[in-house]
Amino acid sequence: MANIVKIEDKKYPDMLRVLGKDAPKQLYYKGKWDKSIFENCLAVVGSRRMTTYGKQITQKLVSQIASAGITIVSGFMYGVDAQSHKAASESGGRTIAVMPCGIDRVHPEYQIKLYNDILENNGLIISEYEGDSQPGYWTYPARNRIVAGISKAVLIVEAGEKSGSLITANLAKKFKRKVFSLPGQITSLVSVGTNQLIKQGAEMVTAADDILEFFKLSRDPSSKKASQISIEDGSLNSLEQQIINQLQREPMEIDLLARNLQIAAAELGRTVSLMEIKGQIKKENGKYYVY
Amino acid sequence: MFIKVQSATNLGLDTIGVDIELNISNKGLPGFEIVGLAGKSVGESKERVRTAIANSGMEFPQKRIIVNLAPADFPKEGSFYDLPIAIGILSSILEFKIPEKSLFFGELSLDGTLRHTRGALLLALFAREKGFRNIFVPKQSSNEAAIISGIKVFPLQTLQELVSNLLGKIKIMPAKYEQKRCPGNGFSEFDMAEILGQEQAKRAVEIAASGGHNIFMVGSPGSGKTMLARAVPGILPYLDEKESLEVTKVYSASGNIPPDGSIITICPFRSPHHTISQIGLVGGGSNPSPGEISLAHRGVLFLDEFPEFPRSIMEALRQPIEDGVLTIARSRARVKYPARFMLIASANPCPCGYLYHPKKACVCSEREIKKYKKRISGPILDRIDLHVEVPVVEADAFSEDEKKRPREFSSAVKQRVLLAREIQRERFLNENIFINAEMKNKHIKKYCLISKQARQILNQAIASFNLSARSYFKMIKIARTIADLSKTEIIGANHIAEALQYRSKFYET
Repeated sequence: MANIVKIEDKKYPDMLRVLGKDAPKQLYYKGKWDKSIFENCLAVVGSRRMTTYGKQITQKLVSQIASAGITIVSGFMYGVDAQSHKAASESGGRTIAVMPCGIDRVHPEYQIKLYNDILENNGLIISEYEGDSQPGYWTYPARNRIVAGISKAVLIVEAGEKSGSLITANLAKKFKRKVFSLPGQITSLVSVGTNQLIKQGAEMVTAADDILEFFKLSRDPSSKKASQISIEDGSLNSLEQQIINQLQREPMEIDLLARNLQIAAAELGRTVSLMEIKGQIKKENGKYYVY
Repeated sequence: MFIKVQSATNLGLDTIGVDIELNISNKGLPGFEIVGLAGKSVGESKERVRTAIANSGMEFPQKRIIVNLAPADFPKEGSFYDLPIAIGILSSILEFKIPEKSLFFGELSLDGTLRHTRGALLLALFAREKGFRNIFVPKQSSNEAAIISGIKVFPLQTLQELVSNLLGKIKIMPAKYEQKRCPGNGFSEFDMAEILGQEQAKRAVEIAASGGHNIFMVGSPGSGKTMLARAVPGILPYLDEKESLEVTKVYSASGNIPPDGSIITICPFRSPHHTISQIGLVGGGSNPSPGEISLAHRGVLFLDEFPEFPRSIMEALRQPIEDGVLTIARSRARVKYPARFMLIASANPCPCGYLYHPKKACVCSEREIKKYKKRISGPILDRIDLHVEVPVVEADAFSEDEKKRPREFSSAVKQRVLLAREIQRERFLNENIFINAEMKNKHIKKYCLISKQARQILNQAIASFNLSARSYFKMIKIARTIADLSKTEIIGANHIAEALQYRSKFYET
């Protein structure tokens, strides 16, 4: 059974109350309503068609930011949204999912596991719609205004030219929230929007510290080094080292890797399998990445 | 006047002798009747025989003619009864003797010439087995029958020619077998050397061909999946004599040998479109005929756009993949067709096809992609050993030097495949299997010795990659073939490590 918080209630988030006519009249929620969860919120949104780059960076940034105590807010859609909820829950941070549908509906429904994980990790599921109502075309942008409004800053990870994430970015500007944007390759279709935002004055993000500084927090110094991919230890033989060097430059398919290293694909496959087992590299979307 | 002519009919790949009994009497009204459960095509034989005799310059007797097809209790279909019926009738008026221990078989044209008739090879096999000495068949069907030694195959062009021969006026020489290139079946359309890049996929195809493994290729449109599949017949060994006969029997029985065709010595390659019916694929019909899987016997069955095939059709493949034979049971007949083929399936990574494409954007939602992947059932994926991704190759990713560098020809790959097959043949000499792909768990235990280091890697892989028990055995089977390709008895770490590249990643259910 879902609970409800009305705008006149004391525990209604202040960040939303000040939005005036954009503030939702009521919020239905699941999970434990603890007002401290709304203190430092960062919205992390992005494309549904997340690339492996987007996935990797979301994972890395969100887990660092969430473990520093910042609540990650997103829209529970698949792609970047789901990835940021997931990274936040896994790193022991709190996360808020703002649903575009009735509070009793899990949308998309195959993400039920993530849904439960959010609740189990002291997160919140909120929605301004009651019951089991379906999401509609207008409810997604409406949901975005809550995502942007509740947060002090918004991070756009990946966005196409006409992405819904840009609506969130625009709303954030309207609400005078800080907009962070992740730069990407100019050839990537899902980085067109984020690069455009940077051009227009959004702050470019290259590390979690860029965001933590804004929140006047700094990262646990012990974890500072870990973000650098440092595989320089003696356990690598020369071919493995060459593979890592190649893949750090750019993720690639095995055929291209074989061509660059001038080695037969079959032979390279053996080494690559072993490196995969050791967790040094990972295959995703047909390409190998340094893990 | 009573006359008996012998012929035979094919039921599936079995042949049954049929006696054509004619009674020609002067009593009663003139007429021509065929009895003995004659089907439509046999019934129409009356008109063909009557006209062909007249157009051959002979007179059709104005008598009461009864033809009985014995044994009279099973249904007869086919047009090959024309020749024995005509010869029986003519022997009554021209008074020649029908040669003993001879079978007559062939369809007549209205002008008295003989047409190509399906099933001549099976007839020849039957004749040899049952101790017949001569078979008389249409010239266009004589070559496939002439491969069988120990009997004389007489090629006939016209009815008139046969009559003159039986009257002792001319001599017909028995056909001599002549091997011809059989168009439309077999020889590879593409050479491996024509394919730019795709090193891993080429290697996977080589392993698949060596061990007879089924293979699944995933890649965007235009990445070269079809080209790779079509290059496979070129690296498979030629069929040996026994296999050739097995394959040609299926083709002969189903009328897939062209006129003047010879027996099939190159691996068949069949690529049915995904709109095929279930009967078209596995065979069937009230008079059961072989489907594509039987026509792919000892060869390659290529199912392009695999997820587009209806679920029921995919499931129908399961049993033949396991057993290598298919029994089609119908009320009128129960027929067994061989179906031991190498399956090559291909699929796009998503419904629009451009997921992971370097240039084009995919327009599918996650839900659509999930649904698309689910169209292929788990049990079928389980039966496919090798899985390989075929990335899009952009020509501009290659330097001019790389493009010019000589690539390996199919003939060179084939040499390695042949050696690996030879090792397998010796290994399974005392078993009822021939290739690594057919190994069951007991064979794996017996023939797949794994080094300690290799076993460690395999165990680590089970943990890191979440391999199922079935995948575990698949990896060993593939590693066995890889070891055979490098002529090694004991499966080493290298072989296992490479095999792990071909585990199912994309379509894991």
